[in-house]
This record gives sequence, C-alpha cells and structure tokens, in this order.
Amino acid sequence: MISLTKILTHAFEKDESHVHIEMKEKPYSNPYLVGVGLGLVLLAAFVIMGRGLGASGALSTAVAVTVNKIAPEHTSQNNFYKEYIGDENTNPLMDWLIFQTLGVLVGGFISGIISHRVKKGIEKGPRISSKMRLIYAFVGGGLLGYGAKLARGCMSGQALSGGAVLNLGSWAFMMMVFAGGYAAAYFMRRQWI
Amino acid sequence: MNAPLFKFEYFNTDVSLIIAFAIGIAFGIALEKGGFGRATILASQFYFTNMRVLKVMFTAIVTAMLGLYFLSVVGFVDLSLIYLTQTNMLPMIVGGLIAGVGFVIGGYCPGTSMVAVATGKIDAVVYVIGMVFGIFIFGEMFPSIENFFNSGFMGSVTLPAYFNLSYGFVVFLVVLMAIGAFAAAEWGEKKMAAKAGKEKQ
Amino acid sequence: MKKFFSNLTTNQKLGGVALVLGIMALFAGDPYGGTTIKVNEKDIALSTVGNSDKVSVTELADWIIKDRADFELIDLRSEEKYNEYTIPNSQCIPLLQLSASELQRNQKIILFSDDDVASSQAWFILKSKNYKGVYILDGGLNKWKENVLFPKAPINGSKDELVQFEKMKEVAKYFGGQAQTDSSITENTTLIKLPTSTTTKTKTTTPTGKKKKREGC
Repeated sequence: MISLTKILTHAFEKDESHVHIEMKEKPYSNPYLVGVGLGLVLLAAFVIMGRGLGASGALSTAVAVTVNKIAPEHTSQNNFYKEYIGDENTNPLMDWLIFQTLGVLVGGFISGIISHRVKKGIEKGPRISSKMRLIYAFVGGGLLGYGAKLARGCMSGQALSGGAVLNLGSWAFMMMVFAGGYAAAYFMRRQWI
Repeated sequence: MNAPLFKFEYFNTDVSLIIAFAIGIAFGIALEKGGFGRATILASQFYFTNMRVLKVMFTAIVTAMLGLYFLSVVGFVDLSLIYLTQTNMLPMIVGGLIAGVGFVIGGYCPGTSMVAVATGKIDAVVYVIGMVFGIFIFGEMFPSIENFFNSGFMGSVTLPAYFNLSYGFVVFLVVLMAIGAFAAAEWGEKKMAAKAGKEKQ
Repeated sequence: MKKFFSNLTTNQKLGGVALVLGIMALFAGDPYGGTTIKVNEKDIALSTVGNSDKVSVTELADWIIKDRADFELIDLRSEEKYNEYTIPNSQCIPLLQLSASELQRNQKIILFSDDDVASSQAWFILKSKNYKGVYILDGGLNKWKENVLFPKAPINGSKDELVQFEKMKEVAKYFGGQAQTDSSITENTTLIKLPTSTTTKTKTTTPTGKKKKREGC
C-alpha cells in the first residue's frame, strides 16, 4: 500500500509547482451564480423525478453488487446489501443514481475540458508531501463512505437534496458535517494551508 | 401537467435513466464550474480562506427550496410525492460528524470527488477507493450496528412539521439564515485576505 | 431609484431577490394543498362526473380477470358490508375516512358503493383535492351484481348480444356468480364470497406496486 502511494506520487512530483500557479490564475465563476445553477439542476430533478440528487448511493450499489457476485449467501443475510441489490426482477445496476453519477463524471469532464482545467495532478497544500496526501485521501474517503452510509446519505443526497425539502434529518446531518469538518480542520491544517 | 412528472407516469423507468444521465451531466458541470473539483478549494472552507462551499451549497439549497415551494403552492408540483428520506436522528448526527471529519481529511465529498476524478486528480481516485472501502466496512459491520442504524427513527419529518411552524415561515427563516451566513462569509473572507496581505508585508 | 438598483452588485441583486421571495413565502400559504377544500361555485355547477370518469362493470371485470394492477379499487361502504361481499382486489375505505387515507394524487382510483351516490360524492371530494385519476364504477355494486355476477340472457337477442352473453357467462363463473338463463328471474340472494387473499390489500405507499425504490443518496 505504501509502495503504491510512492509510485503514484513519484509520477506527479513534478506537477506540484504547476498546481499552485494554476490556482491563482484560473478564476472560477461567481459562487452564488453557480449555486443558483446547481439549485436549478436540483429543482429539475425534483420536478421531473420527484427525487433529489445523490452520489454515495451509486457507490453503495456497486459495492453491494460486487460483494453479491462473490458471496451471494453473505449478502442475502445482510440487510444493508440486500437493499441495494433489490429483487431478481431488475438489474440493480440499472439504477437512477448510477446513471446520474456517470453523468457527473461526464459533465465534470466536459466542463473541465472547456475551461482547460483537466490536468493530472494531486490536490494538496504546500506543507505536505504527495504521499501523505494520498494516504489522507484514502482515510478521508473511508471515513466519509462510512459516515455517509450511517447517515443514509452524503452531501449531495442529504445536505443538498434533503436540505431543499427541509428534511429534519438532512439539516441535522448538514450541521454535523460542518461541525465535524471545522473540528478536524485544526488537526489537518498541515495538509491544506 | 403535473409534477413530479415521473410519478405521474409521463415516462417510464428506462427514460428516467436517460434523464438521470442528463441531470448528472448538468450536476457535474455545475460542480466543476464552481471549483468543487479541487480538494484545496473545498478544504479552504474550513480555514475561512475560501467560503465557496458554503456559498454554493446554501445558494443551491435556497434556490431549489424556493422553487419547490412556490411550484407547490401554485399546484404544479405535488409536494407530498417528493421523496423525503426518513430521519434517524442519532445515526445521522454521528454519521454527519464522521463524514465531516472525512471531508476535511480527504478533501472531497462523494459528488465532488467524481468531478475531480473526471478532471484528472489522482488524490480523488484514491479518495474514491477509500470510499468504496469505507462502504464495504460499513456493509460488513452492518449486522452488528443494524440496531444503531435504525435507532432514533422519526419517520419522514420536515422542519416545519417538527417545529410546528408553517412551511412558508420556515422558508423565510432559511432565506434569512442563508443571507446572514453569506454576509458573514464575505466578511470572514475579507478579514482572512487582509490578514494574509498584512503577513506578506 | 433606478440608479440605486443599477448600482447593486450581482450578489446583492441575488440576495434581494431571495429576500423578496422569502418574504413572499410568509404569505404564500401551505404547499401541500391543505386539507381544506376551496371550492368555486361555478366549478361545482360545472363539474359533474363525465362519461370519461366512469368505468363500466364489464370493463372492470375484464381488468380484474386480466390481472391488471395499475389501479386502486376502493369500496366506500362500511366494513361489515365489505366483509360480507366485495369486488375482488378492492380496499375498504369508508367514505368518511377517504380524506385521511393514504391515496396518492397520481394513482388511478376507481370508487364504488352500492349505487352511484356515495361514489359520486367521493369522486367530488377527491377531485377538489386535486386528485387526477378518479373514476366511479358506473352503477356501483348493484350494476356489478346485475351484469357481472348474474347476467341475464337476452330475450330474442341479436347474434352479437348472444355472443356477448356467452362471454358474460364465463365472467360470471369466474367471479362466483351464475348466469340467469331462464326468463323468470330467480335472484340468488346468497352471495358467494370469493377467496379473500386478494381483497385485503396491504396499503403500500408505492402506487405502481413495484418494489420500493430507494430514492435517497
């Protein structure tokens, strides 16, 4: 695992300085306008589908389907996996969230290409090595995957979508995410600033 | 016309998947344009140097909320048919804390990590692998935490229902809160920038 | 005044719009359409159950035989009457409890009672609450008994009528009834109760009866 991160980081050591310069040079759109745009996309999802956006759900489905392929008896005992596999009538991968997530990949890529922002690299602050960054990325991802499943959603599903419909649990979740983030920020400052 | 369109069967499930893809593309474009494909920008939220996350997120929430509210009031949208995740208070609080910590450590959330992967960020790829791992651990641990997962069940409850306020009033409060948060964010950013400027000198 | 507006930054304009909308929200009312029914006099006069809102008993019989599940069949009578005999696959929601029921606005709902009176009332209640797919069973349970359970042979009927009658004989048998072939109408007063495994429906919140799809994140 450590050697893997070494290989990955070594390949991109050269790009470190690039990342800093780019950050100052590329202006991003007015955040409020972007927010309105995002809000309209979310509204479209509500009006057309009666549901909000999401992200972690697609990954959960992928995990559940994979585990199911390897050990079906195991998943049949497990209520969490079962929910994502559904019944035998429909292919669990023909899932709304999976298609939406694929769209996010495509959309992000298109927007990146148009703005010349697609570039291989590692996002990190100036005081940390790439290797550590990747380790943190893995740990952070793990925590977020776990926490999001515990809370039945992530930022997109709970905070954004649930927030817009004034869902009690979603707002509680959102507040806690900010709380947890700010609490951990002090300890992580090496990584970012 | 009635909305949500899908729930009134204007089109079938297969078409809905195409729509999912289209909406996803729009979602991805919006996120990338907002700068959310970069962990450094996302993380700066927590150091008060760049409050984009707060601004974009709350603006999006307010926009969608206002849109949904007014479309429902005029009768175009049937609000009761919009999906409302059930509230399990304690797991959501704990999950939120864990997710928040994960956010700052990892630098992404699931949606933004996808955009980052699409724009070539290796740390995002590692992050996604981490997420898959985290979900897997959760799945494996599930039988033992299933009770906790289902605890604090409150059904599908909205803020207005819980606090016994009218829906419109809560909408108003949320708008006020958002505007207040934005003003504070702008002020905070200016202060941090001034501080940084002073330090440079 | 105009200068004031043009001098505002984009952000301030956005904030202003949001604030205005927020204040409007204070007065705009309940987005759920409420439980109070606002009725317009003209609408009352104009709205009558049109022919397109009716379902004939033979049509319904056909759908049940074909096992169609895309509608909710509602028996508006009391529970005792419902338990005595009802049309298969129906739910019992007495008229008084209709507003409190879990019926959703996008479901196809077919209402019936003994005759057309209660079902028309129910139709009106649901229509004023903006329900879209509301129908009444034309003639109600009385017609059902007359045409489906105990169809009478047409006297001096045309070929078409006779063919139709043969078909109705089978339909009647399916529902546990019996075709009346002699000219003296013998009314069968003991009604056969059909297997009730399908009549007691668990009230699901998914209108189409498909597996409940996760719609969260």
